[in-house]
Amino acid sequence: MIAYLLRRLNLFVVTIFVVTLATFALNYLFPGDTLENLSGISSHQTAEYNQIVQYHGFDHNIVYQYGMYLQHLWKGDWGISSSSGNDIVEEIKLVLPATLELSVYAMVLSLFIGIPFGFWAGLRHRRPIDLGILSASVLGYSIPVFWLALLLILFFALQLGWLPMSGRISLLYDIPHYSGFILIDILKSDIPNKQDALSNAIRHMILPTLSIALVTATIVIRITRRSVADVMQSDYIRAALARGLTRPQVFWRHGLRNTLLPILPQLVLQFTTLLTNAMIVEVIFSWPGIGNWLMQAVYVQDFPAIRGGVLAVSIVVIIFTLLMDIVLRVINPLKNRDIHGTI
Amino acid sequence: MFLLDVKNLTLEIETTNGWVKALDKVNISLKRGEISALVGESGSGKSLIVRTIVGALPERWKITADRMTWKGQDLLSMSEKARRKLTRDEMSVFFQNAPDAFDPTATLGEQLRESVPDKMLDKGFFWQRKQQRDALIIKYLHKVGIKNHRQCMQAYPHQVADDVCQKVMLASALVSKPELLIADDPTMGMEITNKVQILRLLTRLNQTQNLSILFISHDLLAIGNMATDMTVLYCGQTVESGKMAQLRNKPLHPYTQALLNSAPSFRKDLPPKAPLSSLSGTIPTLQHLPIGCRLGPRCPRAQKECVKTPSPKKLQNRSYSCHFPLNRSIE
Ligand SMILES: Nc1ncnc2c1ncn2[C@@H]1O[C@H](COP(=O)(O)OP(=O)(O)OP(=O)(O)O)[C@@H](O)[C@H]1O
Ligand code: SF4
Ligand SMILES: [Mg+2]
Repeated sequence: MIAYLLRRLNLFVVTIFVVTLATFALNYLFPGDTLENLSGISSHQTAEYNQIVQYHGFDHNIVYQYGMYLQHLWKGDWGISSSSGNDIVEEIKLVLPATLELSVYAMVLSLFIGIPFGFWAGLRHRRPIDLGILSASVLGYSIPVFWLALLLILFFALQLGWLPMSGRISLLYDIPHYSGFILIDILKSDIPNKQDALSNAIRHMILPTLSIALVTATIVIRITRRSVADVMQSDYIRAALARGLTRPQVFWRHGLRNTLLPILPQLVLQFTTLLTNAMIVEVIFSWPGIGNWLMQAVYVQDFPAIRGGVLAVSIVVIIFTLLMDIVLRVINPLKNRDIHGTI
Repeated sequence: MFLLDVKNLTLEIETTNGWVKALDKVNISLKRGEISALVGESGSGKSLIVRTIVGALPERWKITADRMTWKGQDLLSMSEKARRKLTRDEMSVFFQNAPDAFDPTATLGEQLRESVPDKMLDKGFFWQRKQQRDALIIKYLHKVGIKNHRQCMQAYPHQVADDVCQKVMLASALVSKPELLIADDPTMGMEITNKVQILRLLTRLNQTQNLSILFISHDLLAIGNMATDMTVLYCGQTVESGKMAQLRNKPLHPYTQALLNSAPSFRKDLPPKAPLSSLSGTIPTLQHLPIGCRLGPRCPRAQKECVKTPSPKKLQNRSYSCHFPLNRSIE
């Protein structure tokens, strides 16, 4: 286990290193003068400019510049947004939790929708209900997420007027920033009309969460269905039935675990795709998350912000995948399968 | 009365080329206390018969039979629940490929405990019942030749060798004290000492506890020593069945003859350095079954009539399906 953890840690360090290298390369790939992009200062003669040159190491070679970049990153100095003039780390701290909140809810929701339907279809493999669920999931998968989001807005927000179409919470409420997760923040705060604020925030959340979750759920359904169908046809399920266990007993004792274990990694990996979808959907729902923020940065060519945002999202994805890898390994009884011989 | 009686069992399975009859009018029956052998080349459908009898087939496959009864009760029209109860209490199966027949995510102990029917335990608190369960299991593990029962029960299937899996499977089949054991190649790939031990155990259980056994194996020598009856299967059709001794001495069906000849240790009259005989060709795949007698293309005695499926004929207490049987002079 220690060896395994060390290996993972090693992988983590290497990946982060590659990501920093990539974002560092971005500096030079952006159009225009690199230093001007980074600092927003265009006059070359001032004392300030010389300071910037030194700060970024531009009076030395590129390896030294990269060293400086890493050093700054490490110290938490990710640069200043050229459009707002704020510290980028501070801005990311505000927007990233909003995205994570949306993604986590959407992920949970998609699992809650996808796994039961996947099981239903898999247990009725090749019967009408299975084909129905499968067709629906293929259809759902073929719909682009932004179009689905627009459809949902059109129907639930504009036609029926049931739900708000943009934002995270009504402007009437002023929620103090605490964790960045709005539901937690509301519960933590001591504003007078907590209940109303909470329901308002939830109402704002429904449509974006739903549009992201539905797309992921279609994938979850198909992954689960395949696995259930395979497991239920396997020899040990037949053997367990022949041992005289009832179908529900066989399913709960042997089917469920064997179905979920192999697909958990696949399901978890969907989170990265989901994060991308979330960032697209944010733009449509004006959700104040990192996707929206990055889009704005792209519009106004705020290069330090783009660089910082890309780095932040990458780090989130890397940490998440790594943690899940470790968690899955810990809960899997077959983890030593390849290591130990047989008795 | 027959314990198990199967008449004209036909099983149609779905392959990539559509539906084919993997079993075609199979007859097999077994009396109480008998050891009956089921033999045939690889791919002749022995395991399919086993799975049909215990109901471990995909639901889509079509089973038809004139008769498929257990102690007079019809298995096909029986409710699923009644059938489970029956396979739990009265008959046990040893599946071929034991390692695949265990759930890879549960320990062998957990799966063994499932095989102990509740009715074999005294009433008591659940921990007492667990102890009784474990005691029973350990007793049977010792019987099949596993000494290190604790380690074995805590192991996951992938952690033990294949022959340990086979032994555990046998223990799990025997622990419910069944009346019939269906053993599908229980000694496959085992080394000789283990094999002898298992076969001896089965013979002893047959003699002392009147356990009936439907024994499937490729080991004709073992079968010859143990079984009282034999059914020969070729390509999903029963070609001949009857008493072991009769079949051995005077096979009627060319396939039985070929099968017996292919086992040198089975022939008393084999001169030294004689060439080994075998049928030419190989068993056809399900996609390319010949019409009529399925042995036709490989049969040395085949004639024009053989494109019609031979119907089973009775001769004393044996039956065979062939237009031109051997050794008919015994009449
Ligand atoms: N699940 C399946 N799907 C399609 N065909 C199958 C399936 N299971 C078995 N068959 C086919 O049915 C035929 C009989 O197989 P079976 O396993 O019963 O043979 P067997 O007599 O047990 O052979 P062996 O001695 O090797 O165990 C084979 O041709 C096999 O290809
Ligand atoms: S029926 Fe014909 S082909 Fe079939 S075994 Fe008899 S002689 Fe051979
Ligand atoms: Mg077989």
